[in-house]
Amino acid sequence: MKLLALAALVLATVHSPVAALWPQPQSVSTGSKTLLLSPAFQITVLGNHVPGDLLAAAGRTKQLLASDKLERLVVGRGAADAPSFRAAKSLARLTLSLSKGAAFATLTSEAQKAPEARDEAYHLVVPEDGSGASITANSTLGLFRGLTTFSQLWYEHGNTVYTVSAPVTIEDKPAYPYRGLMLDTARNFFPVDDIKRTLDAMSWVKINQFHWHVVDSQSFPLIVPGFTELSTKGAYSSSQTYSLADVRDIVSYAGERGIDVMVEIDTPGHTAIIGQAHPDFVACPEASPWATYANEPPAGQLRFVDATVTKFIADLFTEVASMFPSTLFSSGGDELNTNCYDIDAPTQAALNASGSTLEQALNVFTQKTHAALEAKGKTPVVWEEMVLVHNVTLSKDTPVLVWISSANVKAVAETGHKLIHAASDYFYLDCGGGGWVGDFPTGNSWCDPFKTWQHSFSFDPVANLTADEAKLVLGGQHLLWTEQSGPQNLDPIVWPRAASSAELFWTGPGGNISAALPRLHDLSYRLRQRGVNAISLQPEWCALRPDACDINA
Amino acid sequence: MRFTTFLLAVLHVSGVLALWPLPRSLETGTSALKLASNFDIQVDVAHAPSDLSDAISRTKSFLKNDKLGRLVVGRGAADQSALQKAGSLRTLRLSLAQGSPVRSITDEARLAIGTRSEGYALHIPSDGSSATLTANSTLGLLWGLTTFSQLWYEASGEVYTVEAPVSITDSPAYPFRGFMLDTSRNFFPVADIKRTLDAMSWVKMSQFHWHVVDSQSFPLEVPGYTELASKGAYDSSMVYTAKDVQDIVAYAGARGIDVMVEIDTPGHTAIISAAHPEHVACAQESPWSTFANEPPAGQLRFASPATTNFTAGLISAVSRMFPSSLVSTGGDELNTECYAQDAETQADLKASGRTLEQALDVFTHATHAAIRAQGKTPTVWEEMVLEHNVTLGNDTVVMVWISSANAAAVAAKNFRLVHGPSDYFYLDCGAGEWIGDDVANSWCDPFKTWQKSYTFDPLANISASQAHLVLGGEQLLWTEQSGPENLDSIVWPRAASSAEVFWSGPGGDSNTALPRLHDLAFRMRQRGVKAIQLQPMWCALRPGECNINS
Repeated sequence: MKLLALAALVLATVHSPVAALWPQPQSVSTGSKTLLLSPAFQITVLGNHVPGDLLAAAGRTKQLLASDKLERLVVGRGAADAPSFRAAKSLARLTLSLSKGAAFATLTSEAQKAPEARDEAYHLVVPEDGSGASITANSTLGLFRGLTTFSQLWYEHGNTVYTVSAPVTIEDKPAYPYRGLMLDTARNFFPVDDIKRTLDAMSWVKINQFHWHVVDSQSFPLIVPGFTELSTKGAYSSSQTYSLADVRDIVSYAGERGIDVMVEIDTPGHTAIIGQAHPDFVACPEASPWATYANEPPAGQLRFVDATVTKFIADLFTEVASMFPSTLFSSGGDELNTNCYDIDAPTQAALNASGSTLEQALNVFTQKTHAALEAKGKTPVVWEEMVLVHNVTLSKDTPVLVWISSANVKAVAETGHKLIHAASDYFYLDCGGGGWVGDFPTGNSWCDPFKTWQHSFSFDPVANLTADEAKLVLGGQHLLWTEQSGPQNLDPIVWPRAASSAELFWTGPGGNISAALPRLHDLSYRLRQRGVNAISLQPEWCALRPDACDINA
Repeated sequence: MRFTTFLLAVLHVSGVLALWPLPRSLETGTSALKLASNFDIQVDVAHAPSDLSDAISRTKSFLKNDKLGRLVVGRGAADQSALQKAGSLRTLRLSLAQGSPVRSITDEARLAIGTRSEGYALHIPSDGSSATLTANSTLGLLWGLTTFSQLWYEASGEVYTVEAPVSITDSPAYPFRGFMLDTSRNFFPVADIKRTLDAMSWVKMSQFHWHVVDSQSFPLEVPGYTELASKGAYDSSMVYTAKDVQDIVAYAGARGIDVMVEIDTPGHTAIISAAHPEHVACAQESPWSTFANEPPAGQLRFASPATTNFTAGLISAVSRMFPSSLVSTGGDELNTECYAQDAETQADLKASGRTLEQALDVFTHATHAAIRAQGKTPTVWEEMVLEHNVTLGNDTVVMVWISSANAAAVAAKNFRLVHGPSDYFYLDCGAGEWIGDDVANSWCDPFKTWQKSYTFDPLANISASQAHLVLGGEQLLWTEQSGPENLDSIVWPRAASSAEVFWSGPGGDSNTALPRLHDLAFRMRQRGVKAIQLQPMWCALRPGECNINS
C-alpha cells in the first residue's frame, strides 16, 4: 500500500520540478506556476492560547525564508526563472490552524509524548494565485512539521524569494513514529552548541528523537545532582561537562523543535569511568589486555552482582530520569563481557554467597534498575543483547534497539518486543574511517565499509517480518559513535547522510535513489545555507544536472 | 640507516611527544623551562627579508595563543611544581651560517626542487640562556621556527616545556613533500586554501599541487583566456582571479611552500567545451562511462593543430601566473574511444598521416615546449610514461597515482618521480560511490588511514642506483565528495602522515608516532584547523593504552 503511494509520488516528480522536499511527503501535488513570497509575508496562527513555542517556530520559519538565499540547483542557478517573476502573484500570508475540536498544547509537550502517541500529520495548501496559504493539523507538532515543509519550497534569485511549483497541495504524516539520531558524547566531547546545531538540522528533516548516548567507559560528562562525583572524576575536564542547566537547555531546545530526548546510561558494561569515583563498583577496571575484557579500551564494568552497586545505579537512574522529560530512557545493556567477572573476586564471592549465576544476577540488576525507571513513569529501552544474548525478564513494552546486524531484527521481533532499527550494517555513521586502535597499521574499521546514504536509503524496515511482527517496528535511526569524531567533523560525518533514514522512516521504504539524489542535494545545499556543514555528495556539476552523473547516464 | 639513528636517539633520550615531523637528530632533557613573558625572537641577519620577520611574528603569536595543555591525564597540572624552580627563556636568536646568501623565504621555497636548503639547527639550553636557531637559508630558519613552536605547552598561564635542554639538527629526507587539492569537482574559497597552506607549513610541507581545473569546472581566470572561467566556472563568484592566484602564491611562498599548478590535458577537459566547443571531442557524450572515467565526458582534440596551439598558449599563460619551476600538464586517464568516435579527430589524423599516439606526442611536445620556454620543468601523471609512447624531456617529473606498484616501472625508465599512489595517499577513498543511482563502495576502498600512509616505503622495489630519482610524495584530495565543509576533517591530521614519511624518512613506528600525531592534531585545532580525533580523548591522554595488544 505504501509502495503504491510511492509510485504516485514518482509521477509527481516527473510532472513537476519540486526537487526540494526532504523527507518526501506522503502525498504531494504541485503545479508549474511561479509564485513569489511577498516582502510583507506573514505567518498567522488562528485560535486562542497559541503556545509560545509554536509562535517561536513560526518566527524561525520566517527568518529562514529571509536568510536561506538558496538558488535553484539548475545550470544558471535560477537566472532562467527571473522572466517569470513579473507576471507572478505574491503570497502574503500563511495561516496555521488546528483541526476542528483540537486544542493547543505546546509543541514541546506534543513532541515529548510516547512515540506512538505523537500526532505529526499536517495538510499544507499553497494556492498559485497569491491567496493565503494554509497549514492545518490536529496538533501543534503537525503544524510545526508543515512549517518545516513550507520552508523547503522556496528559492531566491536576485533578492526575490519564489517557487516555480505553485500550486502546492500536501497531505503528510510519518510512516513510523520513531525517527532518531544517536550521538555519543563520551568517546569525545561535544559542546552544547554543537548539539543544538545538530538538533536544528534534525528538525529540518523531521527527525523526532535524539538518542543521547551521554556517558560511556571513556568519560562521564553528565553532571547528575547527588552524583556529581561521577563527572568530577570522570569528565575529560571540568569544562567538558553537561550541567543540569545545559541539559535543560538542550531538552527544551529539542522540544521546541519537535524532538524528544532519550538519554542513555549504558549499563552494566561501558561503565569503566565510574571506577574513577567509585572503584568498588567496577570490575576489571582498565584490565590488560583490554581485548580480553572489553570490546574497546578501557575495560571495566559494573559489579552488578553487588546489591550496593545495583542500588547505586537504580538511584542514579531515578535522578537522571528526573532530568529528562522523555517517556523513554535507555539502560543500554550491550557488549557485556563475562571474562571481566570471571577474574573479579568480589563478583565471584557474591555469586557464591547468593548461589545465583551471573545471568540470574543480571536479571535481578535489570529488574531493579528498570523498576526505578518505571517508578518515574519511564519506559526502559535496551540494546538487542538484552533479549537475544541474555536471559533477562523484561517488561513486554520495552523497546529494543537492534545494532549488531539487520539480520537480528527478525529474532528480536520474534520475542514480541517493539524494536528500533539501528543496525551497524546500515546506519552506523562511523564505519569506514579505518581502525582507530593504536599500533595496528593494517586495521580497517570493524564495520567496514562506509555506509553511504544510498545504502541506508535502501533499508527495508520490515524485511523478513510477518505482518504482526511488522507492527512492532517503531522506526529507526542513524548513529554516530565518536571514537574518531569530535566537533571538528560532526556536521560532515552526519549530514546529509542521516537524512537518509529520516526519509526512510517518515516517507516509508522503497524510495528510488536516483529520484532522491536531486532532493538530497537540495537539502544539503540548504543545510549549508543554514550553517550546517553538510558535505558535497557529488561534484557541483552533477548537483546542477540531475541524473547526468548516474551510473548509466 | 639514518632512520635507525634518529629512532634510537628519541627512544633513549627523551619522551618528546610534540614534534611532527620528527627531526632527523634530536636530543632532549627532562628539565622544565618556561617561556619568559618578555620572550623575544632576535634576528642576527643583516637585511632580514620581510617574510622572515612575518614568520617570526606568527611564531610569537602561536606561542601566545596555542594554549595547548599537555596530553597527559590532568593536562599539565602535575607540571606546576617543576615550573616553580624552572629557568625562563627570554631569547631565541636566529642567524644564517656564515657566507649564506640572504634571500627571502619565498625565493628559497621556489628554487628548483632538489636545490632548496631546508636544514636547520636548534639549541635550547635548560638554564634560560639564549636559544639559537641557525641555518643556511631563511627557509631553514622558517622550518626551525616551526619546530620551536611545537615544543611549548600551557598550564595555568605559563608557557613551558618539560624537556629542556633541546638540541636538534634537522633536514628533510626528500625535497617534495606535497599535498594536492582538486578545486574543480567542487570549489574552495581562497580562505580555505590559505588555511590549508598554514597547516601544510606547520608540518614542513614544501609543495602545494593545485589541480585547479578539470572536466567539471574551470575556476581559473587566465589572462587572455578568460572565456574559459566565465563559461566554465560554476559561478562568477567561484573563480580564482589573477589577483587571487598572486595572493595564494605569495601566502604559500612566505610559508615555505611552492605552488605547482596543474592544467590536466588532454583528458579531463570537458568544461573547455563550454567556451570552445571546437576544441573538445565527445563533449558530454552519453553514456559517459564509454568515454570517460567519470562524468562529464570530453577531451581536447589534440590531433588538431588549432587545439594544440590553443592549449600550448593556455599553458604558457598559466605558467606565467605561477612562479614555481614546476608546471603539471597532467596526462592521466586518456580515453581512446572518445577519439575513435570523433569525426574531427579522425579527419585530423588522416590529414597528418599520424596515429593517435603520434599525435599525442606532437601535442605533448608543444605544451611542454611552452613550459620549457619559460625555464620551467613539466610534470606529468604516470600514464604518460607507462602507457603512452610520448617522448619526454628526461628531467620531466612523473607522478605515480594508480598504484604504488607502478613506482618501480617509472624509476626503471629513469624519470624523477613523486609518490601519489591511490593505495596509500588518496584521502577521498573509502567514502562510498558518489555516482548516482549506484550502491557501491569507493573504487579505491578502503579508507587510507594515517597508519597505512605512514607505512609507505618510498624506495620499495626501486634499485639503489635509481633511489635518487625519488623526489618525495604527496597526499591527494580529489573532491567529488568534498568541499569547504569537510576539507579540514578529511585532510587533517592524515596528510601529516606523508609529511613525516618524506621529511624524517620512512620506517617510523606508528606506535610511537601516534602520541605525537595526537599532539599535532590538538595543536592544529587550537590554531583553527579542524583536524579530526584519531581516538577517544581517553586514549589521547594515555599513550599506548589503546594499542591493539595493550
